[in-house]
Amino acid sequence: MRIPLKYNVRNLIERRGTMLLTIASIAFVVLVYIGVLSLSAGLDRAFGESGDPRNVIVLRDGAHSETESGFPMERHREMAALPGVEHDAQGNPLASGEVLILQILTRENGSETNVALRGVEEAAFGVRPKVRIVEGRRFEPGKGEVIVGDLLAKRFPELQMGREILFGRIHFRVVGLFDAGGGSFSSEVWGAVQDLGNAFQRQNYCSSSLLRTASEQDAKALVARIEGDQRLNLQAQVEPEYYKSQAQATGTQFVVLGTMLAIMMAFGACFAAANTMYAQVAARSAEIGTLRALGYPRRSVLGAFLLEAAFLGALAGLLGVLLSLPLNGITTGTTNFVTFSEITFGLRTSPQILLQGVLLAIATGILGGLVPAWSAARRPIATLLRE
Amino acid sequence: MTKLTLRNLLRNKRRTFLTVGSVSIAIFLLCLLLTMLASMQNTEASVENRVVVRSKISLTFDLPESYWERVKTLPHVVAVTALNWYQGVYIDDRPEHFFPRFTSDPETIFDVFPEYQISDAEKTTWRAERDSFIAGQALVDKFGWKIGDRIQVKGDIYPVNINIVLRGIFHVPGNPSQERQIYFHRRYLEEAMDNPGIVGTYWLLVDSPANVPAVITAAEAMFANSEMQVRAETEQAFQLSFLEMLGNVRLLFGAIGTAVIISIFFITANTMAMIARERTTEVAVLKTLGFRAHHVIGMVLGESVAVGLAGAALGSLLAFGLLRMTATKMADSYPFFGTLKLPPGAVALAISTGIVVGLLSGALPAMTAARLRIAEGIRRVA
Repeated sequence: MRIPLKYNVRNLIERRGTMLLTIASIAFVVLVYIGVLSLSAGLDRAFGESGDPRNVIVLRDGAHSETESGFPMERHREMAALPGVEHDAQGNPLASGEVLILQILTRENGSETNVALRGVEEAAFGVRPKVRIVEGRRFEPGKGEVIVGDLLAKRFPELQMGREILFGRIHFRVVGLFDAGGGSFSSEVWGAVQDLGNAFQRQNYCSSSLLRTASEQDAKALVARIEGDQRLNLQAQVEPEYYKSQAQATGTQFVVLGTMLAIMMAFGACFAAANTMYAQVAARSAEIGTLRALGYPRRSVLGAFLLEAAFLGALAGLLGVLLSLPLNGITTGTTNFVTFSEITFGLRTSPQILLQGVLLAIATGILGGLVPAWSAARRPIATLLRE
Repeated sequence: MTKLTLRNLLRNKRRTFLTVGSVSIAIFLLCLLLTMLASMQNTEASVENRVVVRSKISLTFDLPESYWERVKTLPHVVAVTALNWYQGVYIDDRPEHFFPRFTSDPETIFDVFPEYQISDAEKTTWRAERDSFIAGQALVDKFGWKIGDRIQVKGDIYPVNINIVLRGIFHVPGNPSQERQIYFHRRYLEEAMDNPGIVGTYWLLVDSPANVPAVITAAEAMFANSEMQVRAETEQAFQLSFLEMLGNVRLLFGAIGTAVIISIFFITANTMAMIARERTTEVAVLKTLGFRAHHVIGMVLGESVAVGLAGAALGSLLAFGLLRMTATKMADSYPFFGTLKLPPGAVALAISTGIVVGLLSGALPAMTAARLRIAEGIRRVA
């Protein structure tokens, strides 16, 4: 026989003061948990959006990233001529030899960091169809022009539309802003590979060679072909794989740290929930006795109190979710630990993350309520009624 | 009165235990957060009169070797040495195999880093053998190396692999995190790469801290019209620039810390409210006996502050113990954080948080109890 649900709800309302305090304490645990998870989801997305499974990225053997890699431009020409590389309508290979340069720049809050300047070839836009100009126009090679990722422009005053900035020994002008679907390119400055190479005296040199193929299978075949050729002294990866390793290096620590924090905080909140449920049990011994005398079995009493604790947790979870809603979309930036350059990203609170937060709260409630509920159910009817 | 407060705390042992438990967990977390933050900002190793000179573009650009003779001529500069961040991969990419690997100039490095202690005999053999290296004691302990052991490191930033032999072990008293790196000959790398003549960073020792700003200005001015301009800064500023790159981490940690504190506040406030409700009659009786409002306030606040303090003490003790036990292991597996040590300020902050949370959470119940009219309180018995 089950004790009606209404009994639990009413009880929660009856002692709303202590309930609210417990709910608030669990809600803050949920807030921290959701905050950290959405930070990592934002980073994952920034890197996830960057890779295209049809693209192959070629680096110097042994290099972990474009920052470390470097080889003569001729090698890129050889790569671009490989079978499997797609061509545009004019018959030019969809291949971009790119140079990546780190430049110290100042964020709007005055702190400094390395920003990635990417010198690209004309084909770069064909290779990355997601990249589109949202303001101004594309740069023209040979004129000292650059375009800036939209997320980056927001956080770096020196990189705003129309501004002139000294890179190496050449003054560049920002002629356009581009959107890269939230990917890590949105945190980069793009210019012509010859211009940026000149500015930093890295002529006829590239950090990576980016090749577009017709399909994912073709991309894998091209990777195998380049990897199989020992003489090249180059390594190839499909693009998503390359960015996945960066996401892991940058984001894993946040997830590990955040989950550990949230679990320990939840443990603390469990104690609070236990306190509250003990008080409930103590205040209602006569009631429990009556219920038992009426014929409700022990497990019904246990179930009723557990349900109440779970309900308490669920309410806390919902409050935590409400508190965390303003987090969604906050843009922030940190350093990509693989390339050593700034990565700007937005916090993302997905429904799945919110659900995880609520589940954590319910688990906290149940865990806290377990012992008090058990002690309520175990006590003999006579003792209960006497109190 | 104190005795009464203590007795009251022990009356419901389970509740006191649970509340102290949750406060101590929160304080424990707060201490860990502060420790990590402090270790990232740790610039203890920096010496006031050392200046770092590097490319103005970013650390990925090298300076020409020819700058060496020029910076030596700067007034107030006593000694100059050069370091390159070789990095490389030792065994594999796992973080526990990562440690800083620098190329250095064995003739001048100890002039600029006098705190590195090494025996004269080891110094001499290291200097004499171009393919040898020195390692800090902590790193040698971690990998179980012995003098004469060879290690191979695969190049990543530099496209050459190195094969070097351990010829010396250095100590850095008071700074074990500095002992987690190795130094090998810059000429070894230069020759392997066909002598490009490159230097990542120049390290300048200045005669006195007072002359550091002048040296910085003079160094930057010296190369203002050169192909490769430089940025000069104190060693401390150089170290902090890495933290700055991390961006809002400090803000993130601050936000989490605040959430933790708010959470404990609600927990203790809840307990105190429960206690106050339970004791309404008692308070009325006390008042009947002639105890004044301030006695009652003192009793309730004393109880909540005691809970807060006990939690804070237990939490910081736990954090201290855990860090003590895992310090070496943590430093071995996460070199980024260096050696984690509870900063003295953290304990003070933890204790004051305990007191403040206790006072705040006890305030409302205490006021209610103090204002309680006797007749009303006694009537509530039923």
